[in-house]
Amino acid sequence: MVRMTDPTGPEGASPFDPHGIEWQRVSGRLATARYVLLGIFLGVPLVALVVLAVVLPQAGPWLWLSAAVVALLVAWSAVVISRQVRAIGYAERDDDLLIRKGVLFRSLVVVPYGRMQFVDVTAGPLARRLDISSVQLHTASPGTDATIDGLAPGDAARLRDRLASRGEARLAGL
Amino acid sequence: MTTPGPDPVATPEPDEGSARAAVPVPDVPSAPQAPTAPADDAATSGDPVVKDSTTESTTTVPPELEWRRLHPVTPLVRGWAVLAVLLFVVGRQTLESAPGGDVSFATDHWGVVVLAILGVGLLGGVWAWLSWRMMRYAYDRDAVYVHSGILFRQQRKVRLDRLQAIDIVKPLLARFFGLAELKLSVAGGGDSGARLGFLRDADANQLRNVLLARAAGVESDGPDDAPVEEAPESAVLDVPVGRLVGSVLLTGGTIVLVVAVVAAAVVAVVTRQVAPLFTALPLVFGLGAYVFSRFSGGFGFTGAISPDGIRLRHGLLETRSQTIPPGRVQAIRIQQGLLWRSAGWWRVEVNVAGYAATSEGEQAGAVLLPVGSRDDALRALWLVLPDLGVEDPRPLLDAAMTGSGDEQGFVTSPRSARWLDPLAWRRNGYAVTGRALVVRRGRLVRTLEVVPHERTQSLGLNQGPLQRRLGLTSFVLHSTPGPISPSVVHLADVEASRLLAEQAARARAARTTAGPERWMQAPG
Repeated sequence: MVRMTDPTGPEGASPFDPHGIEWQRVSGRLATARYVLLGIFLGVPLVALVVLAVVLPQAGPWLWLSAAVVALLVAWSAVVISRQVRAIGYAERDDDLLIRKGVLFRSLVVVPYGRMQFVDVTAGPLARRLDISSVQLHTASPGTDATIDGLAPGDAARLRDRLASRGEARLAGL
Repeated sequence: MTTPGPDPVATPEPDEGSARAAVPVPDVPSAPQAPTAPADDAATSGDPVVKDSTTESTTTVPPELEWRRLHPVTPLVRGWAVLAVLLFVVGRQTLESAPGGDVSFATDHWGVVVLAILGVGLLGGVWAWLSWRMMRYAYDRDAVYVHSGILFRQQRKVRLDRLQAIDIVKPLLARFFGLAELKLSVAGGGDSGARLGFLRDADANQLRNVLLARAAGVESDGPDDAPVEEAPESAVLDVPVGRLVGSVLLTGGTIVLVVAVVAAAVVAVVTRQVAPLFTALPLVFGLGAYVFSRFSGGFGFTGAISPDGIRLRHGLLETRSQTIPPGRVQAIRIQQGLLWRSAGWWRVEVNVAGYAATSEGEQAGAVLLPVGSRDDALRALWLVLPDLGVEDPRPLLDAAMTGSGDEQGFVTSPRSARWLDPLAWRRNGYAVTGRALVVRRGRLVRTLEVVPHERTQSLGLNQGPLQRRLGLTSFVLHSTPGPISPSVVHLADVEASRLLAEQAARARAARTTAGPERWMQAPG
């Protein structure tokens, strides 16, 4: 796992990287998927802006300025995406599943198997093309944000089945 | 020890499959099992829509059920609003068109208008009557069955051991007829649970008692339809009208309302025009409705404790009598806004899994005490958690409500948090008791949240870039939908880490020893 700058506590561990946890990484193809989306949603407008600026010189510096802003956004996202994908990790412990994500804004969520209500496996057209899918755990709380993006479909199915059977073994009421 | 039941929320997940492997799940009952009544549903509609209720996706209905209908006045009580809106719209159209120059319209087309109203009314009436005809309900020891729908049939089974709350609601018009609606809430998204309405008052009460007794797992040796006594209750809370009025006046909504009205009046007087008054109307109506609902919802509020759980009664025009069985409250919040501080008033709200999903939203069900003194608020907390898991809860709760610093075992933000929350960093924090996590927050709006360990859904940590620099992490506890989402902001990294690990362990331990879903059944 890539270690970010670690504000190490007295025990030498960041709260997002507890001792003794083997983090499972997600597929690098997730980064590809996000780059494609970035290209569609920011790259295309960027190109359009540049073309417009060249074609319409009388529009003044504003088109160039907005193109520069979009270019900055693209550059920033391009840097962040791969780090973000590398920062995603999950770990199956005996009684709960840990999911961590985020570089700048980091989060860690602990979902007890006994609290799981259902598990979703989803894959959109782009994800199918790149051979990845997402697993999402649902508890009775809408606040539980437990999505793991970028799993190989086989891994996703196996994880889903494992989670379902563990959930069954530890079922509790609400 | 009874094993805790399978999970209650909508899911075609493993438990149903394994427990009921013998039953083919999604289809209409097979021929030999099919009761006479649903059989004709299947025959007429061909493809009955089987709604996957929050509890079971099967429609296997025991054949010996006694099917009942709702009270015949139901369509009228339900439809009056539609009729009123219709009359209002038509009436306004007619009136407005009159001075607009086309005076003849109102007189010439009078007959057409009346005919249209009659026609629509007749259609609506037939539809309402049909839907009343199609609506049947029945119950046995384990579940309530509701069949409804004219074109799209729905068969729903609500398992009683999954019951989260049961309410008797009497809208104003129903009260004239002596009718009441029974609402069964279960934990599921959207439109889950069942509404049985309208029934005669006495029938509704009786049905509630029967269902509660069965949901509780009380064994009765009499015949199935023997009347069941209402569980005895003792009153614990009440809200005098004077205090309620005062509390409503001292809310932000009322103050904004008054300011808006005064401002509009002043502008109108200064400019000598009425337009500003009309501009302010929508705001005034919106705020007025909110303020009035706060008043009418809390009117005549009483809270009582009974073996069937917490009983709440309240309402001015529409009265509501709620029963929340033991162990159904997922989280509780005691809160005091700045305006209430001098009066020493607190408001208590709860998360109950079935309530937030209903369309009436959070105002309807989730208020345990609209306004009360500190003692009242603590009594409300006691209703939910009679045993907080500490020997002397009072000092702990006092510290939680108004204290700050680390007295009474509270863990608060470290000194570095003063940059992010200069006002409340000494106050934001948490304490752990044997039964629950106690979270304290806010200097201006004082908030105290209590979550029983066994009601923890999942846990999380969050950290932004500024927090990272200061060595701070926020802790979040995920509860079921409702007004409360507990979190402890800006803990030291180490503390947050420890809280996460320990709270996960405590929740796990508490779940295995949690009481049975059927609360009157002896565990074992």
